[in-house]
Amino acid sequence: MEINYKELGFTEEELFTRVDHNELESEKITAPRYSYWKSVFRVFFRNKLNIVILALLLFMILFAYIYPSLTEYDPYANLMDPNSKHLSPMAALQYFGHNIHWILGAGASGESTFDAIWNGSRISISLAFICGAINMTIGVLVGAVWGFSKKVDAFMIEIYNIVGNVPSILLISVLAMLFSPTFWTMVFALTVIGWLSIAYFIRTQVIIIRDREYNLASKCLGTSTVKIAMKNILPFMTSVIVTLLATEIPSYISTEVFLSYIGMGMSEMSLGRLIYAAEGAMVTPGWEFEFWSPVAIASIITVVLYVAGQNLGDASDPRTHM
Amino acid sequence: MGKYILKRLLHGAFSVICVVIIVMVLVYSLLDRSLILAGDSGYSHTTSNNRETYVQSRYEAFGYVDYIPYSDYLNELARNGEIDADTQTAAARLGRTVEKDSEITAQYVQKFTETYESQGYQVVRLDADTKSNGQVKDGGAAALYATRDKPLISRVITYFTGMLFIDNIHFVPDTTDIGKRGLTFTLYDPVYNPTGTEKKLSPAIIGNGTKHKYLLYLDDQFPYIHQNFATLNLGESYTVNRGVDVFTTMVESQGSYVLRSLTFPTGLTEDSADNLHTAIYAEGSREINQVYAARFNDDYTNINTFKAGFSKLGFSFVIGIISTIMAYILGLPIGLLMALQKDRLIDKIGTIYIMFIIAVPSLAYIFLFKAVGGKLGFPTLFNMESQSKLMYVLPIISLALPSVASLMRWMRRYMIDQMNSDYVKFARSGGLSEREIFTKHIWKNAAIPIVHGVPGSVIFAMTGAIITERVYSVPGAGNLLTNAINKYDNGVIVGVTLFYAVLSVVSLLLGDILMSVVDPRISFSTKER
Repeated sequence: MEINYKELGFTEEELFTRVDHNELESEKITAPRYSYWKSVFRVFFRNKLNIVILALLLFMILFAYIYPSLTEYDPYANLMDPNSKHLSPMAALQYFGHNIHWILGAGASGESTFDAIWNGSRISISLAFICGAINMTIGVLVGAVWGFSKKVDAFMIEIYNIVGNVPSILLISVLAMLFSPTFWTMVFALTVIGWLSIAYFIRTQVIIIRDREYNLASKCLGTSTVKIAMKNILPFMTSVIVTLLATEIPSYISTEVFLSYIGMGMSEMSLGRLIYAAEGAMVTPGWEFEFWSPVAIASIITVVLYVAGQNLGDASDPRTHM
Repeated sequence: MGKYILKRLLHGAFSVICVVIIVMVLVYSLLDRSLILAGDSGYSHTTSNNRETYVQSRYEAFGYVDYIPYSDYLNELARNGEIDADTQTAAARLGRTVEKDSEITAQYVQKFTETYESQGYQVVRLDADTKSNGQVKDGGAAALYATRDKPLISRVITYFTGMLFIDNIHFVPDTTDIGKRGLTFTLYDPVYNPTGTEKKLSPAIIGNGTKHKYLLYLDDQFPYIHQNFATLNLGESYTVNRGVDVFTTMVESQGSYVLRSLTFPTGLTEDSADNLHTAIYAEGSREINQVYAARFNDDYTNINTFKAGFSKLGFSFVIGIISTIMAYILGLPIGLLMALQKDRLIDKIGTIYIMFIIAVPSLAYIFLFKAVGGKLGFPTLFNMESQSKLMYVLPIISLALPSVASLMRWMRRYMIDQMNSDYVKFARSGGLSEREIFTKHIWKNAAIPIVHGVPGSVIFAMTGAIITERVYSVPGAGNLLTNAINKYDNGVIVGVTLFYAVLSVVSLLLGDILMSVVDPRISFSTKER
């Protein structure tokens, strides 16, 4: 078909430019653009379940932070009212009027169970994230050095064998008694040796990858250790670290619940303290909601965190990006 | 191999000592020691100077300080014959203030001060606390004592040197006349032949002058042959189980007394739960107590009793070992099945279960088991007096289900790793049947890491589980440490920690040895090349 170029209204120079053969350009290999994190999220969101879980997780976290700050929660507001104690949801809704505060009934001092568990969740989630952030940062950094240097390894293994045998309950309770058992004491107690096991785990992973052939080859070619660490090992570790994070963060909530239950928790009314305080209500007919609501919320939060983290860990493994 | 094990044991001993030092620093130096007085009725009932001395005696009892009151020093001098009774009485009379001391008192106070200050003690003199009318207040009498914090090094050394007690015939002070000292071997244990007429064959070694009367004997209690030549002292309890060693607290039976007709050495026969074999020397006990005088011919009168229940370790071990066995029986096959049926229904159900156990706080699912089990009619609280075996069911299940999950997880992981490895493909291409590949290759390789954990899970079955035992009120060993921490029982804290540390070192070593037995490729002895 003939095209009349003049009808298009362009000059000849605009339509045609001369392209010469370029040695440099012909050396380039074209491949689809690969962005690591884009691929991670592409794989992660490919599974529709993950979207649901992530939404649930975001909802719970936001709710735990926003709801308590919007509502006034005073656990002792109804302390003097003898009729307000240990109410089942139906009784509480009837007694206090139909309001979101009372859909889970009322607790031992007439406080709203619903408000109590969200205040508790906020404390527990904060604890888990702060401890997770501190322990993971220290653990990964120390673990990387520990795995790389044989001298550090010999020394750290001894430390690990010794400190690992000191009962952690003892250490935590001593710290809780030394300082008053506040939120920050708890953070300190959980992080003071908590990083050690993470560092040990990372150390093992680093040692496995460190002596792989491609790293030896890289070393022979004169790549600096820092570059090997950043370019060869860190990308490999990302999925390991994310998977580890997914088990670590919920575990702090579990640990906190456990410590509160044996009477060594913090003074704030976290989820663990709520469960501990309401233990007697478990077997009393009509009081079950006070006990099972914090248990259920703690379980849901930990499961959602764990599943979201595990799936993100799977997605961050480059082998799944095909 | 032997050299390697020895090296590992020495290494283990070193870490155990370090752990004990760390724990001692934690409990004796870092903790606020005045906390022990919080619930102490003796403290709230004493006033003025008496309160000061009471506090010091308490600190001594809990092991914080060496505390020597002036009167003890004088008693010591009197016992050594340096002063007579009159001088002692005169010297013990402290003036209201230092200036008002009589000459002889001042002389001995001076000596006391010099003796103990040279040893690093701090000597404290409390002047009499007087009312406005000049009378001494209640509990306000003048006091003098020497005190010092126990140094860490000497504390550690005394702890480890005193740990093993070897019984000897010079245990009873040489000044006490107890007749001929020595060990006698008899074929006819006098406990079973009290009158000497009925000859029941039961060999025993009996000591005189030793701490324990029976150093070796047989009876019908597990492990049937008992010895008292060497006894273990892990640390004396002060509040949890007063005056009793931690190890004894863990291993002595609990519950109600078992009465049986018993003939005492004097010939008196009555229904009693006493276990005559456990007799320990108690100086002068027959003089003070008519009951002992009527029953015993010598001062070996401190006796334990037969009780119906297991010991703390026993209860924990029964529950722990059954749940461990259950976990292996259930966990390994299910893990295998999950690996073989990867990505099918059974694998998915198993994965959800594993996720549930890992993510949900253990307290939550133990309560869930308790609630469900209670609905099904199982007893939810442990009762030592009950003969019912049903009460063991829920604690065992609660302990087993989490270990089942972790075994399933690892078994599946190891199996899948092995199934994807090259040697399996090679074996398949070589024409081996799937069954052969599975039983001869995959299973053997996958089991090796699992084997490593077996000694640990068996040994740690006896230390008990804190939450399970608390939730079902099992009288086991799991709560010993938390109880001791709550009651500031420092001796027990140190003893239990040492016990755990030794168990952990031993179980790791046994795991390594077992692994090298199962897998000949793993060798710990360095080969000559």
